[in-house]
Order: sequence, then structure tokens, then C-alpha cells
Amino acid sequence: MESKGKDKERGGNYWLGTLEKNSIEDLFKNLTKLYKVYAPKLKDGFISYDWVSSIHELSFGYRNHESPGYYSLERQEGYFTYTHPVDSFKKLLRPSEEVLLTIKIKNNRIVFEDSAQADKVALFDVRSCDLSALKIMDKVYLNAPYRDKHYETKRENLFIVAVDCAFATKTCFCSYMNTGPHCKEGFDILLTELEDVFIVQVASSRAWEVLEGIPLGAVTEKHMEEKRAIEERVRESMKFGVNTQGLRDALYSKMDIEHYENVGKRCLACTSCTQVCPTCFCFDIVEITDTDLTTSRRVRVWDSCFSPSFATVHRFNIRESVASRYRQWLMHKFAYWIDQFGSFGCVGCGRCITWCPVGIDIREEVSRVAGS
Amino acid sequence: MQVLNPYTLKEGYIEKVIKESENTYTFHIRTQEQAFPGQYNMLYAFGIGESPITIASKGSGYVVHTVRAVGDVTRHLDSLKEGDLLYYRGPYGNTWDIEKAYNRDLLIISGGLGLAATRWIFEEAIKGTHPIKKVIHLYGSKDTQSLLYTYLYEQWAKRAHFEIIVNSPSKEWKGKVGFVTDLIRDMSLSENTIVFMCGPDPMVKACKDVLREKGVTEENIYASLERHMKCSVGTCGHCMIGPYFVCKDGPVFRYDTIKEFFERKEV
Repeated sequence: MESKGKDKERGGNYWLGTLEKNSIEDLFKNLTKLYKVYAPKLKDGFISYDWVSSIHELSFGYRNHESPGYYSLERQEGYFTYTHPVDSFKKLLRPSEEVLLTIKIKNNRIVFEDSAQADKVALFDVRSCDLSALKIMDKVYLNAPYRDKHYETKRENLFIVAVDCAFATKTCFCSYMNTGPHCKEGFDILLTELEDVFIVQVASSRAWEVLEGIPLGAVTEKHMEEKRAIEERVRESMKFGVNTQGLRDALYSKMDIEHYENVGKRCLACTSCTQVCPTCFCFDIVEITDTDLTTSRRVRVWDSCFSPSFATVHRFNIRESVASRYRQWLMHKFAYWIDQFGSFGCVGCGRCITWCPVGIDIREEVSRVAGS
Repeated sequence: MQVLNPYTLKEGYIEKVIKESENTYTFHIRTQEQAFPGQYNMLYAFGIGESPITIASKGSGYVVHTVRAVGDVTRHLDSLKEGDLLYYRGPYGNTWDIEKAYNRDLLIISGGLGLAATRWIFEEAIKGTHPIKKVIHLYGSKDTQSLLYTYLYEQWAKRAHFEIIVNSPSKEWKGKVGFVTDLIRDMSLSENTIVFMCGPDPMVKACKDVLREKGVTEENIYASLERHMKCSVGTCGHCMIGPYFVCKDGPVFRYDTIKEFFERKEV
């Protein structure tokens, strides 16, 4: 099969080609020349997003094993040998601490400094689940009339290199949430690692700047078959997920079931799940003031519906029990979200399952509630 | 593209301060901002934070806010004096839809500080410019000292059926004693009465029960809710009640739409 779109003519917004395995280094070099690169890095025994300046800092050659409450890494031949990092782009676009406004007192009046600014940033190696999560976050933060300036400033120039997963861990369930395993949209460049080459899909004109001077080959039907086979294999390997058919209505009708009490007894309300979740957007705003009382910063920090003070009104807590907080989280992800933003709030990345210290598995809890 | 920061504050000059009770003050803040009955502003206290406060009324060139000192922010706000500058952002939220009461009776029910959220729509309803058949306002307060806007009662009573009930009155109190639900029970209501109410959650629920007994359906009851809020634009998640963000989908809700979440424990 010949390359699609404007055939091999460079500059099109949809183009398929192949990239030699060792050319990935040149691609990455070009990327770092044009952008500040945020990519998966091996750090403290796990793979996590961080600023990266050389390809040698990436976590190539490590494979992650995940199951409820469990994470480990082992060596493996290849490049994109892992699934997604333990954290997501959320750390970049909605940092755990972010100054929304700096307020100073000058001549008894208040003056503001607006601190929203962003470098030219590329997210390197985003998987299908996180691309879907990014789309969901855009709906939350770019909604009219109050677009979130801090999110938008970072988001609007973000360059995205997506990568297709070659396997799934035991906590992955993107195929059930219809968010994967392979990437369909929302990237500038998509890479699929085959046995001998990468397939490169170009989806924007600016992507060609990154591919400048890099030899690209023609995609054959055999390549596409291999890609399809990988996708099918990954899909097949996800044995346990969530049945989304009629799920929202089932959950709305089961809000009073006793099972929430059972989860409430196991859940530590540690907020781990909401921190690793790529779509959990809740935040608090805290005021940090200099001791001379002339400057104060309004700082947005991550918050969680599992925090005891999350739903208090004048010291009266609406969600006192842990069971009610778990219900809030589950209902939000799988029911309320649909009414609020038109999709599930869960993308099936499975991070909340892996990083739950007591191994609570959202797939299991949703199925139990809905099927009760 | 120029994007406005939704967290940027505006400056308002405090024209007037009225002491309502020991811990409650009313402020007239100079502003040209457009606002509608039911909406709220986020009022800012330097170095402390923000608090969502309903717009109690609007005059020409100023808005009215009533603040009870119950937390860190509100305690600071209540220390402000005439001539001080107040910083705020807003207005946010939806509004009381007065047209719903056209050609019908309008019953307004207020509990405690909830009167601040119903005052403006009440004033609007009794102006005489809206085709509303009859306007009734029932106001319940826990004690006599906490009664708000006592200086307005006389003029209100001239233009509407305005009644007050106090739960734990002082010795001097000559009015009715009990809960606001007692006043509703004693009323004869036409079936297609429209109800606007604001008060603590338990009061809203209790009033709804009595109204149902009187034949008023939940589709004709509107309530303004209060929840924890940080962003006021539907992105911080604190104010959620079921699928609704009280900050932007509310604060005013038709009762039947929130019923299953409002009446269920810990939602």
C-alpha cells in the first residue's frame, strides 16, 4: 500500500510512513531543538513524566507489570516497552501547585499580577487512554464563558507525540471504555512500534518541522497488518473491564445499595486514586501570604473528593462517611460525568487500581454496584 | 488570543455599612456590573481567601451584600468600614426566573440568612411591574437578634403579605413563635402557587413536605442552595450535588431536578 493523503509529498495533515528504528534518536533530537520535552523517565524505580533533554533519559527497555496495589519493572528489548507512566499530563497542565494570581498591596490598593505563561512544550509518548483524558480535560477547562486561562495557555501550543501500546497490564481496561488501545486522534505525530520499523502517522503541518531531514519510508499493507495484529492482541489481552452498556442508568438506580458501605470499610480515603487519575480535576485554592503582609498568592492545589473537608459548608460536612465519598467518586466517573460533559470520566488507564494501597479495583466495584 | 483570567478581581468602593446583628453586616458596594436576582459574587479577603455571597439587592450603581461572620473570610469582611475597598469577582450563577410566577401566586420562603438570597427577587416581585397575582413572603428566624433588614419590614408589609416567625424569641417579641413550616401550614394556598425559597437544607426539605401536603407540586418549587465553592465556574468540583455544579448550574434549582440527590443522605 502506498502512503495515504498527499502521498509521499511532505506537508500534508494526514500522512503515513515508516521510520527506521534508529532514526527515533534524530526525531527526538529535532523535538528537543524545537520544544521543551516532557516524557516518561525512569526515576526512583518507576516510570514517570518529567522534563527530558536527551533520548537516553527515556525509559526505553523497561517493562511495567501492574495489578491491584502492585507495580514492578523488568528489562526488555525494544523502545516503547512499557504502557503509560504512573502519572499523566495532568502534572503538566494542571500542576499540583499553581499560582493563579499574585496580589500585592500598594498605596492601600490591591494590584494583581497574572502569572499565566507557558514555554513551547512537547509531550512525548502519550498513550491512547491519556489522549482521551486530555480531550475530557479540555471540555472541563475550556468551557465558555469561563475558559481557564492557566490551562489554556499551556494547552494551546502543546505538541503531542502519541505512541500505540504494544501490550496491556493487568489493570488496563481502555478497550472497555472505548478509549484504546490504539490512538485515533488528538496528536501531531503517532508512532507504532513494529518488529523492524515504526509506523509514523503525521496529523499536523507543524509535525513536519519535527521530521525535518529524517528519511521516511513507504508503508506497506504488511506493515498495516502488523499494526492491526498488535492492536487486536492488546485488546484481547484485557480480560477484565467494565460493561458500559446502560451503566449510567444502572448506577443512578443503585445509589442506596449496601455495597458502598463495604467499600467504605476498605477504602482508606488516602486520595491516591484521585491523584493518579488523569481526569480527576478537583482543586482547592489556598492563600499563601508573605509575612510582611504585602504580597499574597492564590495558589491552586490538587484536592480530592476523598478529603474530609472537601464538601463542608460552615464546618458541616455533607459527605462525612468514607462510603459516601467513594460513592461520589464512582458516581462522578461513571454517571454524573455523562450529564456534565457528555462522556464517561474514566478512560480505563487503571492507575487508580495499581496505586490503591489496599487494591480496590474500580472495575470490580462498578460491576458489583451495577449488577446488584 | 487574549484570554481573561477568571480569577481576576474587581475593585468596589464600600458606600455604606449597616449593622444587622452582632455578627452580620450589610454592605453597599459601588459597581456598574450587570447582575440579576439570585446571582452571587465571590468576595475576597486579602491573605485569607474568598467566599461566595449572594447579591441581596441592587440599587442604582451599587449592589448589596449581607455577610455573617462565621468563617475566616467572612470575619474579615465584617471588619470593613465605609470608604474601604472591597475586592470581588462575579456575578456568577443562574437567577430566579420571575416569569414563572406570572399570572400566579408567588410564595417566597426564607430561613435565617437565606433572606439575603430572596430579598432582591421579593423586591422585584412587589415593584408592581410584573403580572403576579399575589406575593406572599414567609420568613423564619432562629431568634429575634438575628432578624435581617428590620428597617425594610414596614414598607414590605405595605406591598405584600409579609410574615415573620421566630423560634427562640426574646421577651419583647410579640410576633409568632415557631418554625416557618408552621406559617405555611396556616396558609391557604392556591394549587398553582410558585414557590421560591432559600434557607438551610433541612428547612428546605421540611417546607417542601408541607407544600406537598398543600397540593403544591415539586415542579413549582425553586430553591437556592448553598455549597462549598472555590472556583465558581464549574471546575473545582467542591459544590457538586449529583451531576450538578451548584456554582454554575445553580444556585437556584427546580426542586424536582435535584430531589433525588438533595434528599439522599451524604450526596
